[in-house]
Amino acid sequence: MILKKTIAEQKKERNLLIILFFIALFLSNLGVPVIADSAIMPNYFIALIITFILQKLGNLNLYKLVIIGLLVDILVGQLLGQYAFIFIGIYLANHIIKKVLSIKSEKQVFTLSFFLTLISFFILWVSSLSHSIFISPKIILFQIILTFITTLIFSIIIKRFILR
Amino acid sequence: MAKKESRGQLKLFNRDAFPLLSFCTLFILCLIIMGADYRYQILKKIKSELSLITSPITYIVNLPANIINYSKDSLLTNTLLKEKIKNLQEANYSLSIKIQENTLIKSENKILRNTLKIKKKFKIKEVTAEIILPNVKNGFEIITINKGFKDNIKTGSAVINNAGLVGQIINTSKAYSEVRPITSEAYAVPAIMDNGKENVILYGNGNGELEIPFFPARSSIQINDTFVTSGVDDLYPKGINIGRVIEIEPTKSPKFNFIVIAPFSQPTTFSQITIVNKIK
Repeated sequence: MILKKTIAEQKKERNLLIILFFIALFLSNLGVPVIADSAIMPNYFIALIITFILQKLGNLNLYKLVIIGLLVDILVGQLLGQYAFIFIGIYLANHIIKKVLSIKSEKQVFTLSFFLTLISFFILWVSSLSHSIFISPKIILFQIILTFITTLIFSIIIKRFILR
Repeated sequence: MAKKESRGQLKLFNRDAFPLLSFCTLFILCLIIMGADYRYQILKKIKSELSLITSPITYIVNLPANIINYSKDSLLTNTLLKEKIKNLQEANYSLSIKIQENTLIKSENKILRNTLKIKKKFKIKEVTAEIILPNVKNGFEIITINKGFKDNIKTGSAVINNAGLVGQIINTSKAYSEVRPITSEAYAVPAIMDNGKENVILYGNGNGELEIPFFPARSSIQINDTFVTSGVDDLYPKGINIGRVIEIEPTKSPKFNFIVIAPFSQPTTFSQITIVNKIK
């Protein structure tokens, strides 16, 4: 059964997306205090979009994702269109996996979010080859792990404030 | 009579149809945008234009750190003492830069260059600026400084301090500029050993050091050998200190060694830096 969301619910989700976007923007300008290497930090925007796509929140479609992606590129990006490309990649991967598999339990959703994080970092790595001379695999690994943890934190925040 | 339905509507499991046409259009659009940005540097122009919007964000992010620093200063020193210390620090900083310039000129004299030609070659325009936070932007090491294009800061200019090379300007806005430090992963600089041998390219490794992945094993190199800018790229003035060799490791190939270099300058430990514009 498909449950339609009320206008108030949709508005609440949109507001949460905007608030979390600004929090992600703020955090992406700060280093992680405990970690000495400043390059090792989660990609907050990828974590945010994965969470919203998985939870089917904010009524996100391809056009909205491209616009958000371009906005992220302008604010913190290195190459215009890179994040838009990553976000539509996440949308496609999520759609294909959900078409083939039945994702119901929490564990399946966590696994899927990790898989989507891997895909997004792969796209990020490939599209960064044009402007980054060398990216250490160790740093990418730490970034993937931290981004996945951030995705889980965003999921918990959303469940607390939206799905309660 | 049964109503005729289109094929798509009759499918039993036709849920969440994927907007394939939109996806293909946006996919191609993203590729075109990325290609255009890589070729024409559109993002840098947009960032410069939108600096008025992004400046408040930088200001808000830096505000807590600025308030803490300001409170500490107010408690520890009085205004007069602070003024004196600042003046002395500035004088000390200028002198350190001058000493470095003198060392460069001396080393050039050793290899019998014409003094007048060298003076012309090393003639540089300087702008002194101060480092402000943040030092990381979305995982990339970036130093933000308090001078922008209104102070004649140009993209691509070299950034030095009294210890040596700090990095390169990558973005400028009206009041702020962004510097990529030499230890950043996305950084490379042509260098030469201070004895004039071996032109190489040094790469930042993102861990506060620089590397030469393939250094010819036949060439003699020792721990504590120093590298300076070679100036072949026409971006950096020749002879600016970069760093000293701290590690020499063999690679899988017997023809090459892997060299690790510790930079002389640790940008985040200095508050002041100098932007160098070469006069052509």
